[in-house]
Amino acid sequence: MSLALVARSATNKRIAATFARRALAPRLARGAADTPYVPGGPVYKGSVNDPTTFPPPNKVHGSHHWAFERLLSASLVPLTVAAFVTSESSYPMLDGLLGVSLVMHSHIGFDALLVDYLHPRKFPLLGPTLTWALRATTVGVLAGVYQFNTQDIGLIELIARVWHA
Amino acid sequence: MQAALARASLRPAFATAARPARAFASSATRAQAVPADKPVLEKTFKIYRWNPDEPDKKPTLQNYTIDLNQCGPMVLDALIKIKNELDPTLTFRRSCREGICGSCAMNINGQNTLACLCRIDRDSKDSKIYPLPHMYVVKDLVPDLTLFYKQYKSIEPYLQNDNPPADREFLQSPEDRRKLDGMYECILCACCSTSCPSYWWNQDEYLGPATLMAAYRWMADSRDTYTAQRKEKLQNEMSLYRCHTIFNCARTCPKGLNPAAAIAKIKLELATE
Repeated sequence: MSLALVARSATNKRIAATFARRALAPRLARGAADTPYVPGGPVYKGSVNDPTTFPPPNKVHGSHHWAFERLLSASLVPLTVAAFVTSESSYPMLDGLLGVSLVMHSHIGFDALLVDYLHPRKFPLLGPTLTWALRATTVGVLAGVYQFNTQDIGLIELIARVWHA
Repeated sequence: MQAALARASLRPAFATAARPARAFASSATRAQAVPADKPVLEKTFKIYRWNPDEPDKKPTLQNYTIDLNQCGPMVLDALIKIKNELDPTLTFRRSCREGICGSCAMNINGQNTLACLCRIDRDSKDSKIYPLPHMYVVKDLVPDLTLFYKQYKSIEPYLQNDNPPADREFLQSPEDRRKLDGMYECILCACCSTSCPSYWWNQDEYLGPATLMAAYRWMADSRDTYTAQRKEKLQNEMSLYRCHTIFNCARTCPKGLNPAAAIAKIKLELATE
């Protein structure tokens, strides 16, 4: 409807043509094999009779990632219990383990969030930006936790004091 | 009312006339049961309407009130009654009316199910009927399942074996056959996939529960020798691992199947191979 209105005046027609060419040019260059994601539009690649395609197989993104994530989550349970039990004395090893595994666990969780809701194929600018921001944050937090564990009272002691405060 | 009176006045005359003439007089003389006139039980269905021929008009809910006592027990019966008697423009898919074709999958009172297997609540509350959620709508209750079928095709849902037995059919032990129970019954109605939030957000890349269960149906098949290739396809972050074990699929399946269990088995097999 709006397209029809735009096309009425000659100047608008020229503008519309330029826009159309700009919008079409990258699509034609990339071809049908790499159809861009169009929000709100059909997302079919190829004809209706072609099967959908798979990304190149990579176990690091597939089963290894999943197994690591699950093992990490499972190992956090005994780690947390151990931290509770030993909270009175200082255990730098346990502090370090808990610091690293908790931060990794959160990183994987936030990363899954970004892949689900802000995937680069839908958000070509925001997606990668936030992914790198998350990575930078994780590195920063790891450095901070290391500092806190070595220079200060350590994670477990902190939680114990907050708990009893 | 007048018809009932007329029947009542006719009956004795008919009975006396029949009595001497027939051997099976008893059946004829017995007073014929007059069907009790059931009270009117009105129920309003609010049905999603959208017409592609009028793209400027927004989708609306249209109300249809029918008498449940003049209608079959299932929602599909109500839809057919509405289409026959109230509004022939109402559009929906249906075929077998007994839960084996999967055509009439729709969202009824917030739950994806088959209209033919869903009983009408006989209370006075309105019943809301929408097309399957998060799909492109072709018209009214008809969703566009093109991508769903393309995904099903992508997992190669057929037996692949390079060395078929030369002289006879494939043999399979009862134990191996039993592994397919709970999976081969899937009718691809798309109720589970369209109830999955992960499939809503990422359906162009994530295969969804229905397709993944079909994929596992062929991985679990003892006659199929392409299990490794089938598994390798899923080794990426989108196709399989967007499943976050939400379990909407198992909850909504109108056939009582459990796609979530099949997906969990794929994940386990991929992690332990």
